[in-house]
Amino acid sequence: MTEMKSQYAIKVTNLMKKYGDLVAVDHINFDIKKGEVFGFLGPNGAGKTTTIRMLTGISIPTEGNALIMGYDIQRSPIEAKEQMGIVPDISNIYNELSAWDNLIFTGRLYDMPKSHRERRAEELLKMFGLYERRKEKVQDFSRGMKRRICIAMALMNRANLLFLDEPTSGLDVQSVLIIRDLIRKLNQEGLTIFVTTHNIEEASQMCDRVAIINHGKIAAINTPEWLKRTVEGLQSVEIAFDTMPQDALEQLHAFADVSEVVKEGDKFKLYTYNPASVLASTWSYAQSNNLKLITINTMGPSLEDVFVKLTGIRPATAQQNEPGAGVRKTVGQGRERR
Amino acid sequence: MDMHLSRFGREMRVAWAIASKDMRTYYTRPPSIMFGILFPFSLFLSFSVGRNIPIALQIPILIAQTLFFASSSIGPVVIPSERANQTFDRFLTSPVSLLTVLMGKTLAGLLYGVGISVIPILVGIVFFGSHIASFEALIACMILSALGFSAMGIVFASIPGQTPGQVMMPLNFVRIPLLFISGVYIPVRELPFWGQATSLLSPLTHTIELARYALGGETFFGPVVNIAVLAAYTTVFLFMSIRFHTMNQRKE
Repeated sequence: MTEMKSQYAIKVTNLMKKYGDLVAVDHINFDIKKGEVFGFLGPNGAGKTTTIRMLTGISIPTEGNALIMGYDIQRSPIEAKEQMGIVPDISNIYNELSAWDNLIFTGRLYDMPKSHRERRAEELLKMFGLYERRKEKVQDFSRGMKRRICIAMALMNRANLLFLDEPTSGLDVQSVLIIRDLIRKLNQEGLTIFVTTHNIEEASQMCDRVAIINHGKIAAINTPEWLKRTVEGLQSVEIAFDTMPQDALEQLHAFADVSEVVKEGDKFKLYTYNPASVLASTWSYAQSNNLKLITINTMGPSLEDVFVKLTGIRPATAQQNEPGAGVRKTVGQGRERR
Repeated sequence: MDMHLSRFGREMRVAWAIASKDMRTYYTRPPSIMFGILFPFSLFLSFSVGRNIPIALQIPILIAQTLFFASSSIGPVVIPSERANQTFDRFLTSPVSLLTVLMGKTLAGLLYGVGISVIPILVGIVFFGSHIASFEALIACMILSALGFSAMGIVFASIPGQTPGQVMMPLNFVRIPLLFISGVYIPVRELPFWGQATSLLSPLTHTIELARYALGGETFFGPVVNIAVLAAYTTVFLFMSIRFHTMNQRKE
Protein backbone atom coordinates (compact mmCIF):
# COMPACT_ATOMS: atom_id res chain seq x y z
CA MET A 1 0.00 0.00 0.00
CA THR A 2 2.80 2.40 0.93
CA GLU A 3 4.57 1.61 -2.31
CA MET A 4 1.30 2.15 -4.11
CA LYS A 5 0.94 5.58 -2.52
CA SER A 6 4.45 6.58 -3.46
CA GLN A 7 4.38 5.34 -7.03
CA TYR A 8 0.93 5.35 -8.58
CA ALA A 9 -1.71 8.02 -8.88
CA ILE A 10 -4.23 5.45 -10.12
CA LYS A 11 -4.15 1.68 -10.07
CA VAL A 12 -7.10 -0.11 -11.62
CA THR A 13 -7.62 -3.83 -11.16
CA ASN A 14 -10.24 -5.84 -13.03
CA LEU A 15 -12.68 -2.96 -13.11
CA MET A 16 -16.02 -3.96 -14.58
CA LYS A 17 -19.38 -2.25 -15.01
CA LYS A 18 -22.49 -4.01 -16.17
CA TYR A 19 -25.87 -2.48 -17.05
CA GLY A 20 -28.26 -5.41 -17.20
CA ASP A 21 -26.71 -7.70 -19.81
CA LEU A 22 -24.52 -4.99 -21.30
CA VAL A 23 -20.91 -4.99 -20.15
CA ALA A 24 -19.90 -1.33 -20.52
CA VAL A 25 -16.42 -1.77 -19.02
CA ASP A 26 -14.96 -5.25 -19.18
CA HIS A 27 -12.36 -6.08 -16.51
CA ILE A 28 -9.87 -3.39 -17.37
CA ASN A 29 -6.44 -3.09 -15.74
CA PHE A 30 -4.04 -0.18 -15.90
CA ASP A 31 -1.97 2.07 -13.70
CA ILE A 32 -0.90 5.67 -13.92
CA LYS A 33 2.28 6.98 -12.38
CA LYS A 34 2.29 10.22 -10.44
CA GLY A 35 3.01 13.20 -12.66
CA GLU A 36 1.84 11.52 -15.86
CA VAL A 37 -0.61 12.91 -18.40
CA PHE A 38 -2.59 9.82 -19.28
CA GLY A 39 -4.96 9.80 -22.23
CA PHE A 40 -7.98 7.56 -22.39
CA LEU A 41 -8.92 7.30 -26.02
CA GLY A 42 -11.86 5.61 -27.61
CA PRO A 43 -14.92 6.04 -29.80
CA ASN A 44 -18.27 7.12 -28.37
CA GLY A 45 -19.77 4.42 -26.18
CA ALA A 46 -16.43 2.66 -25.70
CA GLY A 47 -16.57 2.99 -21.90
CA LYS A 48 -14.47 6.11 -21.30
CA THR A 49 -17.01 8.07 -19.28
CA THR A 50 -18.20 4.98 -17.41
CA THR A 51 -14.60 4.36 -16.36
CA ILE A 52 -14.10 7.94 -15.20
CA ARG A 53 -17.40 7.81 -13.27
CA MET A 54 -16.23 4.70 -11.43
CA LEU A 55 -12.80 6.18 -10.71
CA THR A 56 -14.33 9.35 -9.27
CA GLY A 57 -16.93 7.63 -7.08
CA ILE A 58 -20.04 8.71 -9.00
CA SER A 59 -20.77 5.16 -10.05
CA ILE A 60 -20.15 1.96 -8.12
CA PRO A 61 -18.26 -0.73 -10.08
CA THR A 62 -19.91 -4.12 -10.56
CA GLU A 63 -16.54 -5.78 -9.98
CA GLY A 64 -12.93 -4.83 -9.40
CA ASN A 65 -11.34 -1.94 -7.63
CA ALA A 66 -9.45 1.29 -8.17
CA LEU A 67 -6.84 2.92 -5.97
CA ILE A 68 -6.56 6.69 -6.12
CA MET A 69 -3.23 7.82 -4.67
CA GLY A 70 -3.26 4.55 -2.76
CA TYR A 71 -6.82 4.91 -1.44
CA ASP A 72 -9.52 2.50 -2.52
CA ILE A 73 -12.34 4.56 -4.03
CA GLN A 74 -14.91 2.16 -2.56
CA ARG A 75 -13.40 1.51 0.87
CA SER A 76 -11.86 4.92 1.57
CA PRO A 77 -13.92 7.20 -0.67
CA ILE A 78 -13.39 10.37 1.34
CA GLU A 79 -9.60 10.08 1.41
CA ALA A 80 -9.58 9.15 -2.29
CA LYS A 81 -11.87 12.05 -3.25
CA GLU A 82 -9.73 14.53 -1.31
CA GLN A 83 -6.95 13.80 -3.80
CA MET A 84 -8.85 14.58 -6.96
CA GLY A 85 -10.45 17.32 -9.00
CA ILE A 86 -12.97 16.49 -11.70
CA VAL A 87 -13.97 18.20 -14.92
CA PRO A 88 -16.85 16.22 -16.42
CA ASP A 89 -17.81 16.14 -20.09
CA ILE A 90 -20.59 18.69 -19.43
CA SER A 91 -19.71 21.86 -17.52
CA ASN A 92 -21.67 21.13 -14.35
CA ILE A 93 -21.64 24.56 -12.81
CA TYR A 94 -24.41 26.37 -10.95
CA ASN A 95 -25.86 28.71 -13.55
CA GLU A 96 -27.82 30.62 -10.91
CA LEU A 97 -24.67 31.52 -8.99
CA SER A 98 -21.92 33.96 -9.88
CA ALA A 99 -18.47 32.79 -10.93
CA TRP A 100 -17.19 33.74 -7.48
CA ASP A 101 -19.97 31.88 -5.65
CA ASN A 102 -19.42 28.76 -7.74
CA LEU A 103 -15.81 28.62 -6.62
CA ILE A 104 -16.59 29.51 -3.01
CA PHE A 105 -19.27 26.80 -2.83
CA THR A 106 -16.78 24.26 -4.19
CA GLY A 107 -14.35 25.34 -1.48
CA ARG A 108 -17.06 24.78 1.13
CA LEU A 109 -17.71 21.27 -0.21
CA TYR A 110 -14.02 20.56 0.49
CA ASP A 111 -14.38 22.26 3.88
CA MET A 112 -11.66 24.77 3.07
CA PRO A 113 -11.36 27.55 5.65
CA LYS A 114 -12.96 30.84 4.55
CA SER A 115 -9.72 32.75 4.05
CA HIS A 116 -8.16 29.86 2.07
CA ARG A 117 -11.11 29.44 -0.26
CA GLU A 118 -11.38 33.18 -0.93
CA ARG A 119 -7.66 33.42 -1.67
CA ARG A 120 -7.78 30.37 -3.93
CA ALA A 121 -10.91 31.57 -5.76
CA GLU A 122 -9.29 34.93 -6.46
CA GLU A 123 -6.09 33.25 -7.64
CA LEU A 124 -7.96 30.90 -10.00
CA LEU A 125 -10.30 33.53 -11.41
CA LYS A 126 -7.30 35.72 -12.18
CA MET A 127 -5.46 32.77 -13.72
CA PHE A 128 -8.43 32.05 -16.00
CA GLY A 129 -8.97 35.71 -16.88
CA LEU A 130 -12.41 35.83 -15.27
CA TYR A 131 -11.75 37.87 -12.14
CA GLU A 132 -13.31 41.04 -13.61
CA ARG A 133 -16.52 39.11 -14.24
CA ARG A 134 -16.58 37.26 -10.93
CA LYS A 135 -19.85 38.84 -9.77
CA GLU A 136 -21.80 37.92 -12.91
CA LYS A 137 -24.06 34.88 -12.96
CA VAL A 138 -22.40 32.18 -15.02
CA GLN A 139 -25.58 31.54 -17.01
CA ASP A 140 -24.59 34.55 -19.14
CA PHE A 141 -21.11 33.16 -19.83
CA SER A 142 -20.01 31.63 -23.14
CA ARG A 143 -19.40 27.89 -23.38
CA GLY A 144 -15.64 28.37 -23.22
CA MET A 145 -15.92 30.58 -20.13
CA LYS A 146 -18.16 28.04 -18.42
CA ARG A 147 -15.58 25.37 -19.20
CA ARG A 148 -12.89 27.50 -17.61
CA ILE A 149 -15.04 28.00 -14.49
CA CYS A 150 -15.59 24.25 -14.35
CA ILE A 151 -11.84 23.62 -14.50
CA ALA A 152 -11.22 26.30 -11.89
CA MET A 153 -13.73 24.56 -9.60
CA ALA A 154 -11.83 21.31 -10.07
CA LEU A 155 -8.62 23.05 -9.02
CA MET A 156 -10.05 24.71 -5.91
CA ASN A 157 -8.88 22.00 -3.50
CA ARG A 158 -5.32 21.88 -4.90
CA ALA A 159 -5.87 18.29 -6.02
CA ASN A 160 -3.00 15.94 -6.81
CA LEU A 161 -4.93 14.26 -9.59
CA LEU A 162 -7.14 15.91 -12.19
CA PHE A 163 -9.75 14.04 -14.21
CA LEU A 164 -10.74 15.73 -17.45
CA ASP A 165 -13.54 14.19 -19.48
CA GLU A 166 -13.45 15.53 -23.05
CA PRO A 167 -12.09 18.90 -21.85
CA THR A 168 -11.98 20.63 -25.23
CA SER A 169 -14.97 19.05 -26.92
CA GLY A 170 -17.18 21.58 -28.70
CA LEU A 171 -15.11 24.62 -27.72
CA ASP A 172 -13.84 27.49 -29.84
CA VAL A 173 -10.20 27.44 -30.92
CA GLN A 174 -9.12 30.06 -28.38
CA SER A 175 -10.61 28.15 -25.46
CA VAL A 176 -9.09 24.90 -26.71
CA LEU A 177 -5.63 26.47 -26.84
CA ILE A 178 -6.04 28.01 -23.36
CA ILE A 179 -7.12 24.67 -21.89
CA ARG A 180 -4.37 22.65 -23.58
CA ASP A 181 -1.80 25.17 -22.41
CA LEU A 182 -3.21 24.99 -18.90
CA ILE A 183 -3.06 21.19 -18.85
CA ARG A 184 0.63 21.35 -19.79
CA LYS A 185 1.30 23.97 -17.14
CA LEU A 186 -0.52 22.05 -14.41
CA ASN A 187 1.34 18.90 -15.33
CA GLN A 188 4.65 20.74 -15.15
CA GLU A 189 3.66 21.77 -11.63
CA GLY A 190 3.38 18.08 -10.73
CA LEU A 191 -0.33 17.38 -11.18
CA THR A 192 -1.23 13.95 -12.53
CA ILE A 193 -3.77 14.26 -15.32
CA PHE A 194 -6.22 11.66 -16.58
CA VAL A 195 -7.85 12.90 -19.75
CA THR A 196 -10.47 11.17 -21.85
CA THR A 197 -10.76 12.33 -25.41
CA HIS A 198 -11.69 11.20 -28.86
CA ASN A 199 -9.39 13.83 -30.31
CA ILE A 200 -6.43 11.69 -31.30
CA GLU A 201 -4.19 14.57 -32.25
CA GLU A 202 -4.80 16.15 -28.86
CA ALA A 203 -3.93 12.92 -27.08
CA SER A 204 -0.82 12.52 -29.20
CA GLN A 205 0.37 16.04 -28.38
CA MET A 206 -0.43 16.12 -24.68
CA CYS A 207 -0.19 12.63 -23.23
CA ASP A 208 2.78 10.75 -21.84
CA ARG A 209 0.85 7.52 -22.29
CA VAL A 210 -2.37 6.59 -23.98
CA ALA A 211 -4.84 3.76 -23.48
CA ILE A 212 -7.17 2.90 -26.32
CA ILE A 213 -10.47 1.50 -25.13
CA ASN A 214 -13.02 -0.13 -27.38
CA HIS A 215 -16.15 -2.10 -26.48
CA GLY A 216 -15.25 -1.74 -22.81
CA LYS A 217 -11.84 -3.39 -23.20
CA ILE A 218 -8.41 -1.84 -23.36
CA ALA A 219 -7.05 -2.54 -26.83
CA ALA A 220 -3.62 -1.00 -26.28
CA ILE A 221 -1.77 1.02 -23.72
CA ASN A 222 1.59 2.73 -24.16
CA THR A 223 3.28 5.96 -25.18
CA PRO A 224 1.91 7.57 -28.37
CA GLU A 225 5.24 7.06 -30.15
CA TRP A 226 5.46 3.41 -29.15
CA LEU A 227 1.91 2.82 -30.34
CA LYS A 228 2.75 4.45 -33.65
CA ARG A 229 5.74 2.14 -34.03
CA THR A 230 3.47 -0.89 -33.72
CA VAL A 231 1.95 0.06 -37.06
CA GLU A 232 5.17 1.25 -38.64
CA GLY A 233 4.28 -0.62 -41.84
CA LEU A 234 1.47 1.84 -42.35
CA GLN A 235 3.42 4.68 -43.89
CA SER A 236 1.75 7.08 -46.25
CA VAL A 237 2.45 9.52 -49.05
CA GLU A 238 0.41 12.71 -49.09
CA ILE A 239 -0.02 14.36 -52.47
CA ALA A 240 -1.91 17.27 -53.98
CA PHE A 241 -2.22 18.24 -57.65
CA ASP A 242 -2.94 21.64 -59.12
CA THR A 243 -6.16 20.29 -60.62
CA MET A 244 -8.32 17.44 -59.43
CA PRO A 245 -8.25 14.61 -62.03
CA GLN A 246 -11.46 12.65 -62.57
CA ASP A 247 -11.50 9.15 -61.00
CA ALA A 248 -8.28 10.01 -59.18
CA LEU A 249 -9.20 7.88 -56.17
CA GLU A 250 -9.52 4.74 -58.27
CA GLN A 251 -6.47 5.52 -60.39
CA LEU A 252 -4.27 6.21 -57.38
CA HIS A 253 -5.49 3.07 -55.69
CA ALA A 254 -4.35 1.09 -58.71
CA PHE A 255 -0.70 2.04 -57.98
CA ALA A 256 1.55 -0.82 -56.96
CA ASP A 257 1.98 -1.25 -53.17
CA VAL A 258 -0.90 1.10 -52.27
CA SER A 259 -3.25 -0.47 -49.75
CA GLU A 260 -5.64 2.43 -49.32
CA VAL A 261 -6.27 5.93 -50.60
CA VAL A 262 -7.96 8.59 -48.48
CA LYS A 263 -9.03 11.95 -49.90
CA GLU A 264 -8.62 14.72 -47.35
CA GLY A 265 -9.79 18.05 -48.73
CA ASP A 266 -7.66 18.77 -51.83
CA LYS A 267 -5.07 16.16 -50.84
CA PHE A 268 -4.78 12.41 -51.23
CA LYS A 269 -3.19 10.16 -48.66
CA LEU A 270 -1.83 6.91 -50.08
CA TYR A 271 -1.12 4.23 -47.48
CA THR A 272 1.76 1.96 -48.39
CA TYR A 273 4.50 -0.31 -47.17
CA ASN A 274 6.79 1.04 -49.87
CA PRO A 275 6.81 4.86 -50.11
CA ALA A 276 9.62 4.89 -52.68
CA SER A 277 7.57 2.86 -55.14
CA VAL A 278 4.54 5.11 -54.58
CA LEU A 279 6.63 8.24 -55.14
CA ALA A 280 7.80 6.86 -58.47
CA SER A 281 4.26 5.91 -59.50
CA THR A 282 2.97 9.33 -58.49
CA TRP A 283 5.59 11.06 -60.57
CA SER A 284 4.73 8.97 -63.66
CA TYR A 285 1.00 9.54 -63.09
CA ALA A 286 1.50 13.31 -62.88
CA GLN A 287 3.60 13.32 -66.06
CA SER A 288 1.23 11.19 -68.10
CA ASN A 289 -1.85 13.18 -67.03
CA ASN A 290 -0.15 16.56 -67.40
CA LEU A 291 -0.67 17.37 -63.71
CA LYS A 292 1.47 19.57 -61.54
CA LEU A 293 2.36 18.22 -58.12
CA ILE A 294 1.94 21.00 -55.57
CA THR A 295 2.40 18.92 -52.40
CA ILE A 296 4.23 15.70 -51.77
CA ASN A 297 5.07 14.40 -48.28
CA THR A 298 5.99 11.00 -46.93
CA MET A 299 4.53 10.39 -43.51
CA GLY A 300 4.94 7.88 -40.69
CA PRO A 301 1.90 6.33 -39.04
CA SER A 302 -0.17 8.64 -36.83
CA LEU A 303 -1.91 7.78 -33.59
CA GLU A 304 -5.09 7.87 -35.64
CA ASP A 305 -3.72 5.00 -37.71
CA VAL A 306 -3.14 3.03 -34.52
CA PHE A 307 -6.64 3.86 -33.36
CA VAL A 308 -8.18 2.80 -36.67
CA LYS A 309 -6.17 -0.39 -36.68
CA LEU A 310 -7.21 -1.30 -33.15
CA THR A 311 -10.83 -0.17 -33.18
CA GLY A 312 -11.77 -0.34 -36.82
CA ILE A 313 -13.31 3.11 -36.44
CA ARG A 314 -12.12 6.30 -38.09
CA PRO A 315 -13.49 8.82 -35.59
CA ALA A 316 -12.74 12.08 -37.34
CA THR A 317 -14.40 10.89 -40.55
CA ALA A 318 -17.37 8.96 -39.26
CA GLN A 319 -19.79 11.66 -40.31
CA GLN A 320 -17.81 13.03 -43.17
CA ASN A 321 -17.99 9.71 -44.95
CA GLU A 322 -21.76 9.96 -45.07
CA PRO A 323 -23.10 9.99 -48.64
CA GLY A 324 -22.93 13.45 -50.11
CA ALA A 325 -20.55 14.84 -47.53
CA GLY A 326 -17.73 14.64 -50.04
CA VAL A 327 -15.01 15.96 -47.74
CA ARG A 328 -13.13 12.78 -47.18
CA LYS A 329 -13.40 9.63 -49.24
CA THR A 330 -11.68 6.32 -48.89
CA VAL A 331 -10.84 3.63 -51.40
CA GLY A 332 -9.12 0.41 -50.47
CA GLN A 333 -8.88 -1.64 -47.32
CA GLY A 334 -9.80 1.40 -45.20
CA ARG A 335 -12.38 0.16 -42.75
CA GLU A 336 -11.20 -3.38 -43.09
CA ARG A 337 -7.87 -2.48 -41.51
CA ARG A 338 -8.64 -3.87 -38.05
CA MET B 1 -12.14 10.51 19.36
CA ASP B 2 -10.80 13.89 18.21
CA MET B 3 -10.60 12.58 14.67
CA HIS B 4 -14.24 11.44 14.78
CA LEU B 5 -15.33 14.80 16.20
CA SER B 6 -13.36 16.62 13.54
CA ARG B 7 -14.91 14.42 10.80
CA PHE B 8 -18.37 14.99 12.27
CA GLY B 9 -17.82 18.76 12.39
CA ARG B 10 -16.64 18.73 8.81
CA GLU B 11 -19.66 16.73 7.64
CA MET B 12 -22.01 19.13 9.42
CA ARG B 13 -20.35 22.18 7.85
CA VAL B 14 -20.62 20.65 4.39
CA ALA B 15 -24.28 19.67 4.99
CA TRP B 16 -24.98 23.28 5.92
CA ALA B 17 -23.11 24.51 2.83
CA ILE B 18 -25.31 22.28 0.65
CA ALA B 19 -28.50 23.36 2.44
CA SER B 20 -27.68 27.07 2.24
CA LYS B 21 -26.84 26.78 -1.46
CA ASP B 22 -30.16 25.00 -2.09
CA MET B 23 -32.07 27.63 -0.09
CA ARG B 24 -30.51 30.38 -2.13
CA THR B 25 -30.93 28.66 -5.46
CA TYR B 26 -34.21 26.78 -5.26
CA TYR B 27 -36.55 28.33 -2.68
CA THR B 28 -37.94 30.86 -5.13
CA ARG B 29 -38.08 28.53 -8.12
CA PRO B 30 -41.61 28.23 -9.58
CA PRO B 31 -41.98 24.48 -8.76
CA SER B 32 -41.03 25.13 -5.11
CA ILE B 33 -43.57 27.93 -4.81
CA MET B 34 -46.27 26.01 -6.66
CA PHE B 35 -45.94 22.63 -4.92
CA GLY B 36 -44.70 23.93 -1.58
CA ILE B 37 -46.86 27.00 -0.97
CA LEU B 38 -49.72 27.46 -3.45
CA PHE B 39 -50.70 23.79 -3.40
CA PRO B 40 -51.31 23.40 0.38
CA PHE B 41 -52.99 26.81 0.69
CA SER B 42 -55.29 26.13 -2.29
CA LEU B 43 -56.17 22.66 -0.99
CA PHE B 44 -56.91 24.12 2.41
CA LEU B 45 -59.15 26.84 0.99
CA SER B 46 -61.02 24.49 -1.33
CA PHE B 47 -61.87 22.14 1.54
CA SER B 48 -62.45 24.74 4.25
CA VAL B 49 -64.42 27.55 2.64
CA GLY B 50 -68.12 27.12 3.32
CA ARG B 51 -67.66 24.51 6.05
CA ASN B 52 -69.12 25.26 9.43
CA ILE B 53 -65.86 24.94 11.39
CA PRO B 54 -64.38 27.89 13.32
CA ILE B 55 -61.28 29.12 11.55
CA ALA B 56 -59.23 28.88 14.77
CA LEU B 57 -59.82 25.12 14.73
CA GLN B 58 -58.66 24.94 11.13
CA ILE B 59 -55.30 26.59 11.83
CA PRO B 60 -53.66 23.28 12.93
CA ILE B 61 -54.78 21.72 9.62
CA LEU B 62 -53.18 24.53 7.68
CA ILE B 63 -49.99 24.24 9.76
CA ALA B 64 -49.85 20.49 9.10
CA GLN B 65 -50.57 20.87 5.38
CA THR B 66 -47.93 23.54 4.87
CA LEU B 67 -45.35 21.47 6.79
CA PHE B 68 -46.32 18.42 4.75
CA PHE B 69 -46.27 19.96 1.27
CA ALA B 70 -43.53 22.55 1.68
CA SER B 71 -40.98 20.22 3.34
CA SER B 72 -41.56 17.33 0.97
CA SER B 73 -41.33 19.52 -2.14
CA ILE B 74 -37.77 20.78 -1.91
CA GLY B 75 -35.95 17.45 -2.54
CA PRO B 76 -38.10 16.65 -5.58
CA VAL B 77 -37.41 20.11 -7.03
CA VAL B 78 -33.71 20.26 -6.24
CA ILE B 79 -32.42 16.76 -6.97
CA PRO B 80 -33.94 16.18 -10.44
CA SER B 81 -32.82 19.68 -11.50
CA GLU B 82 -29.31 18.97 -10.25
CA ARG B 83 -29.36 15.60 -11.93
CA ALA B 84 -30.26 17.25 -15.24
CA ASN B 85 -27.37 19.75 -14.90
CA GLN B 86 -25.07 17.01 -13.56
CA THR B 87 -24.42 19.22 -10.54
CA PHE B 88 -25.59 16.40 -8.26
CA ASP B 89 -22.42 14.57 -9.39
CA ARG B 90 -20.42 17.31 -7.66
CA PHE B 91 -21.68 16.05 -4.32
CA LEU B 92 -20.90 12.45 -5.20
CA THR B 93 -17.32 13.38 -6.07
CA SER B 94 -16.83 15.57 -3.00
CA PRO B 95 -15.00 14.18 0.02
CA VAL B 96 -18.15 13.78 2.11
CA SER B 97 -20.47 10.85 2.75
CA LEU B 98 -23.72 10.37 0.89
CA LEU B 99 -25.47 10.75 4.25
CA THR B 100 -24.06 14.27 4.57
CA VAL B 101 -25.21 15.21 1.08
CA LEU B 102 -28.71 13.92 1.78
CA MET B 103 -28.73 15.59 5.20
CA GLY B 104 -27.93 18.88 3.49
CA LYS B 105 -30.82 18.37 1.08
CA THR B 106 -33.11 17.32 3.95
CA LEU B 107 -32.12 20.39 5.96
CA ALA B 108 -33.06 22.64 3.04
CA GLY B 109 -36.53 21.02 2.97
CA LEU B 110 -36.85 21.22 6.75
CA LEU B 111 -36.11 24.94 6.85
CA TYR B 112 -38.48 25.61 3.96
CA GLY B 113 -41.31 23.72 5.69
CA VAL B 114 -40.69 25.38 9.05
CA GLY B 115 -40.45 28.81 7.43
CA ILE B 116 -43.69 28.45 5.49
CA SER B 117 -45.61 26.92 8.42
CA VAL B 118 -44.81 29.95 10.58
CA ILE B 119 -47.22 31.92 8.37
CA PRO B 120 -50.43 30.08 9.47
CA ILE B 121 -49.23 30.11 13.08
CA LEU B 122 -48.83 33.89 13.00
CA VAL B 123 -52.13 34.34 11.11
CA GLY B 124 -53.88 32.18 13.71
CA ILE B 125 -52.41 34.09 16.64
CA VAL B 126 -52.79 37.58 15.18
CA PHE B 127 -56.17 37.34 13.43
CA PHE B 128 -58.08 34.43 14.96
CA GLY B 129 -57.07 34.40 18.61
CA SER B 130 -55.16 31.09 18.54
CA HIS B 131 -52.84 30.64 21.47
CA ILE B 132 -49.92 28.28 21.93
CA ALA B 133 -50.79 25.89 24.76
CA SER B 134 -47.62 23.81 24.47
CA PHE B 135 -44.60 25.48 22.94
CA GLU B 136 -42.62 22.21 23.24
CA ALA B 137 -45.28 20.29 21.30
CA LEU B 138 -45.32 22.97 18.59
CA ILE B 139 -41.53 22.86 18.22
CA ALA B 140 -41.55 19.04 18.17
CA CYS B 141 -44.38 19.08 15.64
CA MET B 142 -42.60 21.53 13.32
CA ILE B 143 -39.09 20.06 13.53
CA LEU B 144 -39.99 16.36 13.44
CA SER B 145 -42.64 16.75 10.77
CA ALA B 146 -40.54 19.00 8.56
CA LEU B 147 -37.57 16.65 8.93
CA GLY B 148 -39.63 13.53 8.21
CA PHE B 149 -41.50 15.01 5.25
CA SER B 150 -38.33 16.51 3.83
CA ALA B 151 -36.69 13.07 4.04
CA MET B 152 -39.78 11.61 2.36
CA GLY B 153 -39.25 14.05 -0.51
CA ILE B 154 -35.61 12.92 -0.75
CA VAL B 155 -36.76 9.29 -0.96
CA PHE B 156 -39.00 10.14 -3.92
CA ALA B 157 -36.24 12.22 -5.47
CA SER B 158 -34.26 9.01 -5.89
CA ILE B 159 -36.62 8.24 -8.80
CA PRO B 160 -34.23 8.81 -11.69
CA GLY B 161 -36.04 11.71 -13.37
CA GLN B 162 -34.47 14.89 -14.66
CA THR B 163 -37.40 17.27 -14.12
CA PRO B 164 -39.28 18.04 -10.89
CA GLY B 165 -42.52 16.91 -12.57
CA GLN B 166 -41.21 13.36 -12.97
CA VAL B 167 -40.84 13.12 -9.19
CA MET B 168 -43.82 15.27 -8.14
CA MET B 169 -46.29 13.07 -9.97
CA PRO B 170 -45.60 9.87 -7.99
CA LEU B 171 -45.11 11.94 -4.84
CA ASN B 172 -48.57 13.50 -5.17
CA PHE B 173 -49.94 10.03 -5.78
CA VAL B 174 -48.96 9.38 -2.17
CA ARG B 175 -49.41 12.84 -0.64
CA ILE B 176 -53.00 13.50 -1.71
CA PRO B 177 -54.51 10.17 -0.52
CA LEU B 178 -52.71 10.71 2.80
CA LEU B 179 -54.83 13.84 3.34
CA PHE B 180 -57.96 11.66 3.44
CA ILE B 181 -56.72 9.10 5.96
CA SER B 182 -54.97 11.48 8.33
CA GLY B 183 -57.86 13.16 10.12
CA VAL B 184 -57.46 16.35 8.12
CA TYR B 185 -61.10 16.73 7.21
CA ILE B 186 -62.66 14.17 9.54
CA PRO B 187 -61.19 14.04 13.08
CA VAL B 188 -59.60 10.67 13.91
CA ARG B 189 -62.08 10.21 16.80
CA GLU B 190 -64.99 10.20 14.32
CA LEU B 191 -63.42 7.61 11.99
CA PRO B 192 -64.45 3.94 12.13
CA PHE B 193 -62.00 1.55 13.82
CA TRP B 194 -60.28 0.55 10.56
CA GLY B 195 -60.00 4.25 9.69
CA GLN B 196 -58.39 4.99 13.04
CA ALA B 197 -55.98 2.08 12.59
CA THR B 198 -55.05 3.33 9.11
CA SER B 199 -54.62 6.91 10.30
CA LEU B 200 -52.22 5.72 13.01
CA LEU B 201 -49.89 4.64 10.19
CA SER B 202 -49.94 7.99 8.44
CA PRO B 203 -47.24 10.44 9.56
CA LEU B 204 -49.50 13.35 8.61
CA THR B 205 -52.03 12.24 11.28
CA HIS B 206 -49.43 12.82 13.95
CA THR B 207 -48.44 16.21 12.59
CA ILE B 208 -52.07 17.39 12.72
CA GLU B 209 -52.59 15.86 16.17
CA LEU B 210 -49.47 17.51 17.57
CA ALA B 211 -50.39 20.85 16.00
CA ARG B 212 -53.89 20.62 17.53
CA TYR B 213 -52.42 19.69 20.89
CA ALA B 214 -49.91 22.55 20.72
CA LEU B 215 -52.73 25.03 20.08
CA GLY B 216 -54.81 23.73 22.97
CA GLY B 217 -56.85 21.09 21.16
CA GLU B 218 -57.04 17.38 21.88
CA THR B 219 -55.00 14.53 20.43
CA PHE B 220 -56.51 11.08 19.88
CA PHE B 221 -53.27 9.09 20.09
CA GLY B 222 -51.52 11.33 22.61
CA PRO B 223 -48.43 13.53 22.07
CA VAL B 224 -45.96 10.81 23.05
CA VAL B 225 -47.28 8.45 20.37
CA ASN B 226 -47.37 11.33 17.90
CA ILE B 227 -43.73 12.20 18.56
CA ALA B 228 -42.63 8.55 18.56
CA VAL B 229 -44.32 7.82 15.23
CA LEU B 230 -42.93 10.98 13.60
CA ALA B 231 -39.43 10.16 14.88
CA ALA B 232 -39.75 6.60 13.57
CA TYR B 233 -40.88 7.81 10.14
CA THR B 234 -38.04 10.32 10.00
CA THR B 235 -35.52 7.56 10.69
CA VAL B 236 -37.11 5.23 8.15
CA PHE B 237 -37.25 7.91 5.44
CA LEU B 238 -33.63 8.91 6.03
CA PHE B 239 -32.53 5.28 5.87
CA MET B 240 -34.59 4.68 2.72
CA SER B 241 -33.21 7.79 1.03
CA ILE B 242 -29.61 6.65 1.59
CA ARG B 243 -30.46 3.15 0.43
CA PHE B 244 -32.24 4.29 -2.74
CA HIS B 245 -29.61 6.85 -3.69
CA THR B 246 -26.89 4.23 -3.20
CA MET B 247 -28.86 1.89 -5.47
CA ASN B 248 -28.88 4.67 -8.05
CA GLN B 249 -25.09 4.87 -7.83
CA ARG B 250 -24.91 1.16 -8.59
CA LYS B 251 -27.11 1.67 -11.63
CA GLU B 252 -25.18 4.78 -12.78
